[in-house]
Amino acid sequence: MKALAKKNLADALALLAGQATVWVPAKVAGVTRFAPWSPAVTLDLEATPPAVSPKEILLPETESLYRYSAYGMDVTFEAVEQEVPPTIIWGIHSCDVQAILCQDDVFLSREPQDAAYAKRRAATTLVALACTTPGPDCFCTSMGLEPAEHASTDVQLHILTDGYGVEARTARGEEIVARLAEKGLLVETIEPPAKAQACTRAVNPEGIDKKLVEMFEHPYWDELAATCLNCGACTFLCPTCHCFDLTDHRRNAHEGTKIRCWDACMFTEYTVMAGGHNPRPGKKERVRQRFMHKLRYFPERYGKWQCTGCGRCVARCPVHIEITDVIKEVGEVTLDG
Amino acid sequence: MKELHNVNVAMRTLARELLESGTVAGVYGWKKGSRPTLTSPLYIQDAAKADRLAYDQYAVSNLSALLLDHRNNDKKRAIFVKGCDSRGVVRLLQDQQITPEQVLVIGLPCPGMVDEAGSLLTKCAECRFPNPVMADQVLGGVEVSKQPSAPTGVTAEAARKVGVGSRAGERMAQVAQLEGKTAAEKEAYWAEQHDKCIRCYACRNVCPACNCRDCIFDTEKKGWVSKAATSSANAFFAITRAMHVAGRCVDCGECERVCPMDIPIMTVNRKLQQDIEALFGPYDAGVDETVVPPLGRYQTDDPEEFL
Amino acid sequence: MGEGQRELIPQSVTVTKIIDETPDVKTFYLALRDQGGRCSAPFHTLPGQLAMLSLPGVGEAMFSATDGGDHLQLSIKKVGRLTDELHEMAEGQQVGLRGPYGNGFPMTEMQGKNVLFIGGGIGLAPVRSVVRYCVDHRADYGKLHLVYGARTPADLIFLDDLTKHWPAVEDFTVSMTVDNGDDEWQGHVGFVPAYVEELRPEVANTVCVLCGPPIMIKFTLNVLRKLGFQPENIYTTLEMRMKCGIGKCGRCNIGHSYVCLDGPVYRLDQLHELPNEY
Ligand code: SF4
Ligand code: SF4
Ligand code: SF4
Ligand code: SF4
Ligand code: SF4
Ligand code: FES
Repeated sequence: MKALAKKNLADALALLAGQATVWVPAKVAGVTRFAPWSPAVTLDLEATPPAVSPKEILLPETESLYRYSAYGMDVTFEAVEQEVPPTIIWGIHSCDVQAILCQDDVFLSREPQDAAYAKRRAATTLVALACTTPGPDCFCTSMGLEPAEHASTDVQLHILTDGYGVEARTARGEEIVARLAEKGLLVETIEPPAKAQACTRAVNPEGIDKKLVEMFEHPYWDELAATCLNCGACTFLCPTCHCFDLTDHRRNAHEGTKIRCWDACMFTEYTVMAGGHNPRPGKKERVRQRFMHKLRYFPERYGKWQCTGCGRCVARCPVHIEITDVIKEVGEVTLDG
Repeated sequence: MKELHNVNVAMRTLARELLESGTVAGVYGWKKGSRPTLTSPLYIQDAAKADRLAYDQYAVSNLSALLLDHRNNDKKRAIFVKGCDSRGVVRLLQDQQITPEQVLVIGLPCPGMVDEAGSLLTKCAECRFPNPVMADQVLGGVEVSKQPSAPTGVTAEAARKVGVGSRAGERMAQVAQLEGKTAAEKEAYWAEQHDKCIRCYACRNVCPACNCRDCIFDTEKKGWVSKAATSSANAFFAITRAMHVAGRCVDCGECERVCPMDIPIMTVNRKLQQDIEALFGPYDAGVDETVVPPLGRYQTDDPEEFL
Repeated sequence: MGEGQRELIPQSVTVTKIIDETPDVKTFYLALRDQGGRCSAPFHTLPGQLAMLSLPGVGEAMFSATDGGDHLQLSIKKVGRLTDELHEMAEGQQVGLRGPYGNGFPMTEMQGKNVLFIGGGIGLAPVRSVVRYCVDHRADYGKLHLVYGARTPADLIFLDDLTKHWPAVEDFTVSMTVDNGDDEWQGHVGFVPAYVEELRPEVANTVCVLCGPPIMIKFTLNVLRKLGFQPENIYTTLEMRMKCGIGKCGRCNIGHSYVCLDGPVYRLDQLHELPNEY
């Protein structure tokens, strides 16, 4: 296997950054998140996983779609063209690679595709980093993932004593590896890569998608929702949550920009209709939607869990509503009849 | 924690009685979470579930804002409170979000809350009101007090040992540190912090002082605020939030604790407290229901000239 | 218009005609108008499909569209801020429009069958797009029967169609009812579900197209069941809050189904498979 020594990492990133925006896990204002690499960035490859997922790279928190104007009888709409540079996500873990597959299902698998997402996705190369020391809330193995590697990445980095084993998985990945090799940044090694330690948390989701079909009206949701704040912490931190709003950023009464920004099923306003009817009027309906979506509707629609076990929602829910508990408790519910 | 063993037993017994007798329709307390170092909010309506209640040095959540879920409901709910939490209940009562008939407040002695690593939380080290400022009942021998005071009740000794209130005098240290910076440094600092905000509104939703029925940040249709999570729009949110709780913030620290992006929200809250005290004299929000918040009263000698 | 998000970016269209249907419902004709004033439809819709109408700076909302050949028709009831503003518009005003969205009614599958249309209030708008299709392809369908009800005679929409055009079509029965009559009303008074029961429409080889307020749908379904209609032969449309129209923004889901993409037309048996959350 080829290997990149730790001491060559900065050179490798600098080389790639010459032709692409290279997002790396970094410490930014006290939080670990992905940031475009530059020599000034404080790399943080230890966070398992980074507190903020790389979701924003393919689905920005806020993006402009078009400018509008309305004067008198005339209205105009003018697309805001997004510059999409070649992009590399370096150091993404299995959980977040899996999350991108979930996003691909939503944005690309059904016509019409989401053009902006498609454009960014097409320009993106994934360089996954093996995750060998799980964080306190990780449970990706329970969700069917392998923390040490992911089959759907372009390049897989393995952990070696003093560097990274480099394995290309796609033609795009080969290209990156070739460029690093060409500059003499890679060496051959026979060192076996570090094995992943077991995930901290373990649950068994098997069969709960089916079970949830019978649990729409179950009192469990009332109890679960009672202490929920209906905030956006869980959904906004979640790498698979894709919901967005289209709304106006007004310049004045006549002009403005239509923006797309993250939205979440936990917010009251999310489903309210013009006449005031809300099909999800209370906390119970909203909390139920979130878990049903992740563990039943998404599997029904796209054939995979919409939870990768990254544990971010578990870590940051202000009231400790944990999807691991939900998986466990739903599994334990006895259905009568 | 052994000092709290009897308190835990008493909590469960009391909750069971209150629910069985129909005195209350529900009880807010805590339960043990998925790790020994997690104690999370719990709401029970069924006496049979009273045994799930638990209280210890990890019960950091202030449950008072959850009472807002029932503001349109006449039934009574019981709530267990630490000193800081009780101020949240006073906030709701004073703001007329709930009536005294809707809530039964049960005061608990506070051992000082610690993080998962076991260190005392800053808010507890700086705490001036470790005893409930109001309660209909108390457990564990805690004394109700509307004055800054030392911890009382069965955990008084434990609380003193870990240092509850030991840094009460340094509450404004972080404010002072920021005030020492130049305007440009401050701007850069806050821009970096506000840049992080993901507009999840956890800080707002957990807060007993953020109790508007329709928050301006949810009424997007009026077009007063933008949902864009840009640095400037986030700053607008942060400032609006801070100004709206100015003089009403009960200093519970929940907003900062729950912020998933670790934005130092309390620094802003404290700065406003400091300014308000400088302008209007000493005032502790959510302590005495009969004392109107400084920004809520009208006085002819108001320091602001335009009044 | 550049590449961008074609699916999400409206085109400017002109309101070429406005019809006052009732005190709170207007029908808007929307078209692209070229230099010479010639009109063409911004896009074509199948019966039951949707279009997103936007008033820049005010908002966007989804409406059931009727294809008018060289224009699209949207019948819009005043229910809030956006629709209030739409009702203030004058002919010649431009607005934004994007679409078409949604599945539409399975017109091919319905061929050779009798069609029973049941509409309540503004629910006649999606029904009308199906009726027009059936009338335009008269030979492909069996007997047509429309039962339509509104609160009062003043609330009946598409009066020309109801009283002139459709009764003139071969084998097309139009039955109207109002909840509350007035001095001039000679027709039937009573709720739609009861009227349907009274009319005992033909069930054999018949599909039913049912649109209206949720409460009317609920009671009418009971009646249809009593009359012997199978869920596989009943179609209805659903409404949800919508933003994107392409099954991505998340908010219009009922279970795993996105109303903007997989709906808004559902066969009753399909609907029964979904959670009751709409
Ligand atoms: S639901 Fe929670 S654990 Fe699952 S992917 Fe989302 S943030 Fe991660
Ligand atoms: S859980 Fe909620 S916010 Fe997340 S993708 Fe599903 S509907 Fe959207
Ligand atoms: S589950 Fe937790 S993070 Fe999610 S909305 Fe509820 S309180 Fe917020
Ligand atoms: S602003 Fe923060 S500290 Fe003040 S009352 Fe609200 S949550 Fe507590
Ligand atoms: S909790 Fe933090 S990230 Fe969320 S809205 Fe408040 S300040 Fe922003
Ligand atoms: S309107 Fe966006 S998913 Fe249906």
